Formats: sequence, structure tokens, C-alpha cells
Amino acid sequence: MHNQGVINLTLMNISFAYGLILLASALACLLRVGESRQMLGASVRMGLQLLAVGYLLDAVFSINSPLLVVFVLVVMAGFSLQVMGSRVRRKMPGFYRVMGSSIFIGCGAVTFLFCSLVVGYAPWYDPRYLIPLAGMIIGNSMNGASLAAERLASEIAERREEIETTICLGGTARQSSETAVRNAFRAALIPTINTMAAMGIVALPGMMTGQILSGTVPAVAVRYQIAIMCAITGAVAITAYLILLQGYRNYFTVAHQLRERQN
Amino acid sequence: MTENKKICENTLMVSVEHVGLVRHDREGKETTILTDISFNARQGEITAIVGPSGGGKSSLIRLINRLEDPTTGRIILDQEDIMRLDPLLLRQRIAMVLQKPFMFEGTVLDNLRRPFLLRNEPLPADGSPEVRRVLELVSLSPDILGREARTLSLGEQQRVNLGRALITGPQVLLLDEPTSALDRPTGDRLALTIRDICELQGVSVILVTHDLRLAGKTADYLVYLEGGRIRETGHPDGLLNNPNSVELRRFLADPGENEGEHHA
Repeated sequence: MHNQGVINLTLMNISFAYGLILLASALACLLRVGESRQMLGASVRMGLQLLAVGYLLDAVFSINSPLLVVFVLVVMAGFSLQVMGSRVRRKMPGFYRVMGSSIFIGCGAVTFLFCSLVVGYAPWYDPRYLIPLAGMIIGNSMNGASLAAERLASEIAERREEIETTICLGGTARQSSETAVRNAFRAALIPTINTMAAMGIVALPGMMTGQILSGTVPAVAVRYQIAIMCAITGAVAITAYLILLQGYRNYFTVAHQLRERQN
Repeated sequence: MTENKKICENTLMVSVEHVGLVRHDREGKETTILTDISFNARQGEITAIVGPSGGGKSSLIRLINRLEDPTTGRIILDQEDIMRLDPLLLRQRIAMVLQKPFMFEGTVLDNLRRPFLLRNEPLPADGSPEVRRVLELVSLSPDILGREARTLSLGEQQRVNLGRALITGPQVLLLDEPTSALDRPTGDRLALTIRDICELQGVSVILVTHDLRLAGKTADYLVYLEGGRIRETGHPDGLLNNPNSVELRRFLADPGENEGEHHA
């Protein structure tokens, strides 16, 4: 029963799927609600990007060299940094250094522990495991990291009076930004916590359904899903914490002075 | 003659020496906020820094407890350069009350305990001598201790704010526009309280205000600041009745109009 093989989708099958997009686009055009061209453009872009990634992963899988796999992971992390840079409007001082090191340490440690202790496959760089698992961990941490950085900046800007009052009463930079840091950490973790709470009831997660579609028995797919959710939560929490720990300091001088408004 | 005698009696507490402040914005553009500021503040006296808004008054007192640092010059607290002191210990000796009273969540007692909490010191109980002394100083009744601080009137909040700054016994008290958020009678009562604090506790008060009434009523010594420079100093009676500089004469003639849009 295990792994009866997957039904391959031919280009013909895919073009039927694209027919649905054409239909939706034609409807949008007919009803004059707009977005029909954007829908088409984005769907073409999505198709090309995924096909390219497919070929790339095929190549990486067949070459199977640790250097190449690590290179792919570094490119993924670099891309996530670029996405965060464009998404976070109010950047803290030293933004890229803080975000980069936090993603590197947070995701790196969790991916390493997860792959070696939880899944325990060999060799450690096997791209079939390492790339998708690291991808999910990095992708989710990226969201958490953006939320943490964005929220910290707005909290510090809004709480200037509270922060300076605390400093005037003899408090440290850390004491004065405690509330800001706590709120930013909560903001970073809420989406992950909500996803975990709704998992299996409101939505069937993508990785699990993907494994089931490709022939894994549900009992095994479910175990993978549980394990990866734990890893994602850990990575998001560690990354966000590292960002906040380094980040709040950048708003202060060594003499516990709140720096001038950044933007 | 009596005034001179008074100055000799009171020891020098804070001495601001040739202080200048230049700020840089994000594009690296320089703005001169303060130029060559020198004055002294003595123990048990109120020094008022007066002038139109935007003249650098608030920036000046922020330098004294090191919320910011001057670009040039130095500030001496009781014979020590403040840059050589631990900033956290310095702020225990020089308390500051900001313009808008910020109340932390919780009761008035929680707010009065805050400085002890921040310093990891044992918290005073509601009947403790520190709490009682400070409530008396800022003329608040002990019944107020259990109330939510954020539900108090602005006048009461400003008194809690003062009490919170005084409860740990600072040597110097910096006040940034303490009455600006208050209506006139409330502000006048607070001015009397500030006078009492200065005399009873022997602290050196440095007060920033654009309110000439407040300055005239409370201050022992007056510094007139406009466009980031000291234009005139002296005793309030002499200065306000008989100004020498063009700037102060113009400000006295129309303090309202000068506010916010001064011409250097």
C-alpha cells in the first residue's frame, strides 16, 4: 500500500488547470471588476518560477553535493533577508546585521537539531530532506522576524514618553523597553500559535496534504507535520527573541539614552 | 546686599560650562541647538530657564541628567564632571520630571514605588515614612494611594509625577514645563508646591518654562534663553522689571507671539 507512485501531471493536464485561470480572468473582464490582467500575469510568473525551481532542485538532487546544498540554503536565507528589507517599513538601526545574524543562528540551530535528532536521516546534507525542511523553517521565521522588527520600531516610537520617564527614574535601557520588547515578541508569535491551534480542524496543512498526495500514509504524514510545526515554532521564537535582544539595544546608547527618532 | 548674602550661603550644585549642542539628522545635516551656555544652579534655590518655545530650553535640561550629551563644554555636579559618573547613578542624584506626566499602569502607590522597583530596592509600604513624606510635600492626601494613576486629573498626575521623582531623595530636580498642561489656578498651586519642595528639601531646582508668571513667582535666579543662546541672566525682579537685552524686552512685551516662531 505504501507509495503506489504519484500520478504525473503532463503539460496537457497543467494547461487544463490554466484553463481555470483563463475562465476566472474572462469572468473578471466580463463583470468589469478588474484584476483580470494581474491575475493572468501573476499566474504566468508563478508557473515560470516554479518550473525553474523544479529543474534547479532536480539538478541539486542529482548532483547531491554538500557544498551545493549549503549554497542553496544560503541563497534562500539571503532572499528572505531581501524580502524582509522590502517589507519592514521602519527599519531599526543596523537592520540587516541584526536580521541576518538572527535568522542565521535561529534557523540554523533549529534546522540542525531537527534534521539530526528528529528526522535522523543520512547523509546530513541529503537535499531531499534538508532543502524543504530548511525552506519551511526559514520561510516561517522570516514572517516572524518581520513582525518582530516592525512592531519593535513602532512600539519604541509610540512609547518614547514611557521609556524616557523610566530612564529619568533611574531605569536601564532594558527596563525601559521591556513592554515594547514583550509586545513585539507576542506579535511575532501570534500567527504561529494561531496556526498550531487551528491545525487539522480549520485547515489541513500543505506539507501533510502534499505527502499524502505523493503516497505517504496519513499516520506518517501527520507525524511529520507535528514535528515540523514544533520546529517552526521554535525557530520563530528563537529568531524573534534574538532580533529583539539585539534590536532594542540599537535604539539606545551605552549611557542608557534613547537615540533620536529614526524616521 | 541681602541677595548677595544668600548666594554666598548656598553651595554650588550644578555648573553648566560653555555647553554647546549640535544635532545631526539622518541625512547628516547639522542643526545648532545650543551655543556657549554657562550658568550655575545652587542648593536650595530655583533656577528658571525662560524663553520662547523652540529656543533650546528643553534640550538644555535634558543634558543635565544625560538624556542627551552636549557636543562641547561640560556640566559639573557637586565638583564632578557628569560624564565621569555612572549615568544610572547620576539619574538617581538628578531627578527629572518631563513635561507630560506619564503614569505607569497601576495605582498611585505602584507609581511611587516604581523607582525602587527599577533599582531592585525594597518597596516602601503605603504607610511608610517615605511615602507619607512625599505625599505631604506634593500636597496629596493619603487616600489617593489606592486609585488608578491614569484616572487622576492632570494636576494630580503632575503632583504624583513630582512625588515619584522626589521619593528617592535626589540632590537636583529638573522640571520641564511643569505647569504647561495645567490650567492657571492649578499651575499656581503647583508653583507654591515647587517652592516648598526646594526650601524644605534643600534640593537645587532647575525649571524650564515659557511662563513668565511662574518664573517670576518661584525663581531665585533667571536665565533667559533664545535662539540657543543665553541673552540675559539675573534675579527675576530686576530682570523682568528692567530688561537689558532686545530679545527679553521683546519677549516681555508679547510672550504669546514669540512662542513657537522666534526670529534669531
